[in-house]
Amino acid sequence: MDTPAQEISYYILFGNYTQGLALQALLKQEGLTARIAPTPRNLEGSQPCGMSLLVKQEDIDAVRACIEKHGAEYLRIVEAVNQIRPGRNRFC
Amino acid sequence: MIYLDNAATTMKKPPQVIEAVVNAMQTFGNSSRGTHESSLDAAYTVYGARVRLAGLFGCPGPERVAFTSNVTESLNIALHGLLDRGDRVVTTDLEHNSVLRPLYKLRKERGLDLAIVPADRQGKLDLNDFDRLITRGTKLVVCTHASNLTGDVQDVRDIADIAHARGALVVVDAAQTAGTRKVDMNDLGADVLCFTGHKGLMGPQGTGGLCIGENVDVRPFKVGGTGVQSYSETQPEELPTRLEAGTLNGHGVAGLSAAVDFINEIGVETIQRHEEALTQRFLSGVRDLPGVRVYGDFSGPHTAVVALNIRDYPSADVSDALSQDYGIATRPGAHCAPRLHRALGTEGQGAVRFSFSWFTMEEEIDAAVAALRELTSPD
Repeated sequence: MDTPAQEISYYILFGNYTQGLALQALLKQEGLTARIAPTPRNLEGSQPCGMSLLVKQEDIDAVRACIEKHGAEYLRIVEAVNQIRPGRNRFC
Repeated sequence: MIYLDNAATTMKKPPQVIEAVVNAMQTFGNSSRGTHESSLDAAYTVYGARVRLAGLFGCPGPERVAFTSNVTESLNIALHGLLDRGDRVVTTDLEHNSVLRPLYKLRKERGLDLAIVPADRQGKLDLNDFDRLITRGTKLVVCTHASNLTGDVQDVRDIADIAHARGALVVVDAAQTAGTRKVDMNDLGADVLCFTGHKGLMGPQGTGGLCIGENVDVRPFKVGGTGVQSYSETQPEELPTRLEAGTLNGHGVAGLSAAVDFINEIGVETIQRHEEALTQRFLSGVRDLPGVRVYGDFSGPHTAVVALNIRDYPSADVSDALSQDYGIATRPGAHCAPRLHRALGTEGQGAVRFSFSWFTMEEEIDAAVAALRELTSPD
């Protein structure tokens, strides 16, 4: 059986929810979507908060540009595999 | 009942505020605790409230708006979080106990060098006294934007200019002005602005906050659960989390957010004009009644507050008569402003405070004037 191609996505980690919600609002203004997701414990090494923004691979460059443009606060961006599935962003 | 005790709390709230609180109580999870739908409902609303309040008060960013349960907590956080052992602090006779008591406590605990600008017999401050008392090396000046007893609005900008020229920070208590006139941190020169949600902002009780200017570091007053950085032994450094340990009053903040929308719809200038007109209507009706003594200076900026006494009648008796015989709610006594009462010479008698809001009607003012006319008539 073939193994499905792995989807790459990105977690943006923050110091608190306010930073994350602020960036999500900026991304929305620019037509970019980022779903709020719990931060996986294995990514919490340097004390990020419990929420992160999950960004698809095709959007990550635009998201980085948006962060740069607005000087948005965040801790770091971490590449991860197979985190986004259809129907999981309906509350955001 | 005719409710004229809005300086204590606005009893009549916009319907949108009530709806927002009810909706929040039916849908909210815990803000900043998890990422499921109901937690995010709360988190988005709380964040939206920060954005609205930052806009209303000219705060540098939503992350610099920290929520508290009232302005007393805000002032405690600011004063405990900024002052160190031996610091010089300047405040005024006009302050509420929410400023005075934390300062007295810190004077005892941390040996503060506390100087208090005196009010004269009319309750006025002299800018020259600030110039004299704010010495170089003064750490902090804390002053009210408007007296909760006389309603006199203070020249905070002028005070802040002196403070900043001497290297001092400025904390402003906006309990009596937030929501009823323009309150902008930049215009005032406030490094920290403390506000409550349930008075002029017309939000729920149990809400308040502080806006923290750029380059101002306020140490946490309380530490504990934040929903973030759980494995750190210390409180997170990032604002507003640094100052917000424990679950927020999310239901109240939802109401407060709706209240700010209501105020923005009407416009603070419109609210101010309405309240000033009510105040002038009341003042012109009562100031010449026999035996009535009105406190404060109405020649300058003023909130919708009029404090008065009738002859030597105890203020509690007058307020009780207004309540029992006329159905009019006012506030007698000391108003948590002991130093100003002493300055006015009303320490024993207190004063009867009438205070109006956006929802006060002219007919209610006229009824209060008529009641006072009866109470002051010889027979």
